[in-house]
Amino acid sequence: MSDGSRFFALLLVCCLLVTVSMWAVTLGTVHIPLRSVWQAIVGFDGSREHLLVMTIRLPRVLAALLAGSALAVSGAIMQAVTNNPLASPGLLGINAGASFAVVSVMTLFGAGTGDVYMWFAFAGAGGAALLVYTLGSFGLAGQSTIGLVLAGAIVATFLTALTSSVLIFDQSTLDAVRLWTAGSVSGRTMAQAAAVAPYILVGLAAALLLGRHLVTLSLGADAARSLGQNPMVWRAISVAIIILLAGSAVSLAGPIGFVGLVVPHIARLTIGVDYRWVLPFSAIGGALLVVAADTAGRMIFASQSFPVGVTIALVGAPFFLWLARNRAGGAT
Amino acid sequence: MIRLLVLLAALLAGVVTASLAFGDISLSWHALFETIIGSPEASPQNSMIVFDLRLPRVLLALLVGAALATAGTITLAIMRNPLAEPGVLGINSGAAAAVMAMIVLVQEPPVLLLPAAGFFGAAAMAVAVYLLSWRGGTSSMRIILIGIGLSSLASAATTFLSAFGEIGDVQRAMIWLAGSVYDANIVKVRLLFFWLILPLVLAWMSARELDLIRFGDNSARSLGQPVDLVRALMIVLCTLISGAAVAAAGLIGFVGLVAPHIASRLVGPSHARIFPVAALIGASLVAAADLVGRVIIAPTQLPAGIVTGLIGAPFFAYLLWGRRHVRG
Repeated sequence: MSDGSRFFALLLVCCLLVTVSMWAVTLGTVHIPLRSVWQAIVGFDGSREHLLVMTIRLPRVLAALLAGSALAVSGAIMQAVTNNPLASPGLLGINAGASFAVVSVMTLFGAGTGDVYMWFAFAGAGGAALLVYTLGSFGLAGQSTIGLVLAGAIVATFLTALTSSVLIFDQSTLDAVRLWTAGSVSGRTMAQAAAVAPYILVGLAAALLLGRHLVTLSLGADAARSLGQNPMVWRAISVAIIILLAGSAVSLAGPIGFVGLVVPHIARLTIGVDYRWVLPFSAIGGALLVVAADTAGRMIFASQSFPVGVTIALVGAPFFLWLARNRAGGAT
Repeated sequence: MIRLLVLLAALLAGVVTASLAFGDISLSWHALFETIIGSPEASPQNSMIVFDLRLPRVLLALLVGAALATAGTITLAIMRNPLAEPGVLGINSGAAAAVMAMIVLVQEPPVLLLPAAGFFGAAAMAVAVYLLSWRGGTSSMRIILIGIGLSSLASAATTFLSAFGEIGDVQRAMIWLAGSVYDANIVKVRLLFFWLILPLVLAWMSARELDLIRFGDNSARSLGQPVDLVRALMIVLCTLISGAAVAAAGLIGFVGLVAPHIASRLVGPSHARIFPVAALIGASLVAAADLVGRVIIAPTQLPAGIVTGLIGAPFFAYLLWGRRHVRG
């Protein structure tokens, strides 16, 4: 695929994303025309319709956009760093750490508000990722990626085991946390979306600027070093970006696994292995998938709280299976 | 190698003896010895505890551990990915979805149906993954990708059921899925043993084929191996072995991933050596996990599947950390 047609395809997906997002704001139990949505944003007058837009629909769509693009991009970086198709932000312990932190807080202090969980989820995700990075980089054969990968599997298993041992004895926490665990963007407030937006935007910008270095990193440590790159430095930078992006996304929308694992694959199968293109495609594609899946969940199941984690897989997996069957190469 | 095997066997024997001795009623070494050799001085109560309760349980743990480790070794070789474990074939997510559906949707499901549901869920997923990735041949990459896709569909179903099912049912399903050998009895042990014996022997006999396929499809083919046939047979073996382990004990994760890694670190890349070492490690790990889960917060029991994560993970981390100057 030439750069020209890639650019055209990216433009096409962008337009699709804008259309779907605008459509998602108008849809719901009450249909709100686009004109009113626009008026609510520029000249908020406190009417019922404007309140609905600004406090419920718009935050929800924004949360979906932010979480989707952040997860997909961090997944792409993770796969570049580890050079492993099974890698996702979850392999850095992000999901397990966030879940463990949220479950511990709920068990120790009882159910609180969403805002409190956000910070604990972020702290848990960041802490687990740092642990994985330390263990993986300074542990086994420092330079190889297999250390990072195995360290991730170890830490994630350990934290998940801790979480399950709490949940099988504490039914009320299980009841309170199970919808969060499924991943959801319902009931997110504008303040919550605004709180993580700066981190995600900075992370996205950094990731897009670093695309060139990620291409080099994905060739493996030896090739990268012979091209003049210090793989240790760039691996550390990549992990920092992943923590920023995936940690924010998980604290906003819960541990959604599918996007970070599959969207980068979809991008790679569609437009090739060049990370300078895979990253923007993942960002747009991830946002599109989560917004579309959330809207579909709201419409089809007519329920505001249907977990988006489920609909994402229902929408995305068939397409991914088709792609993998038809595009994924022969011998590897 | 011989020294290592003897060492591991001694470790395993120690774990088994401890499992027979410790519990809600701990037996002294002397009483345990008398009970085992069936001396007339042994109390009938002790022999019931040892032979009817603890022995089946520890035997089941050993079988499950060895089975998971063997299945993990096979997957690691044919997928050529350090993260590959039987779950890559969709076995875990298929079993989880089937069991969750059975517990949440069916009122009062018969206890015997749960293992069956687990096995058929696992087998159906593995078959589906293999068939979908077949296009005039398969490749490890395509199997991995299709496995990811189908697993995420199955997990979405599990998540949906667990988010909206009745909370008591969900918790029951979680405990079953966490993996445990609570309800072991001698019939179950026998059944699992006869089910596993043929696939396990076949797997160990095909060590050489695994050595070849690990080099990559092209190298293996040029060395005269019918790669697609071998991979298909290995996936069948892997499904039979780990599907049965899941049916018998739920999802005991981590063993299938870690035992082959530790084994290959200890004895090198030859599968003829990896298989016995991995099986011994897996068996010790699950049996030790069950013992710890039974006694650590007695009388409450922690499922073995959780304890493997709780003690196995730090242990493996220690191994990685301790050998960090050895190029692996």
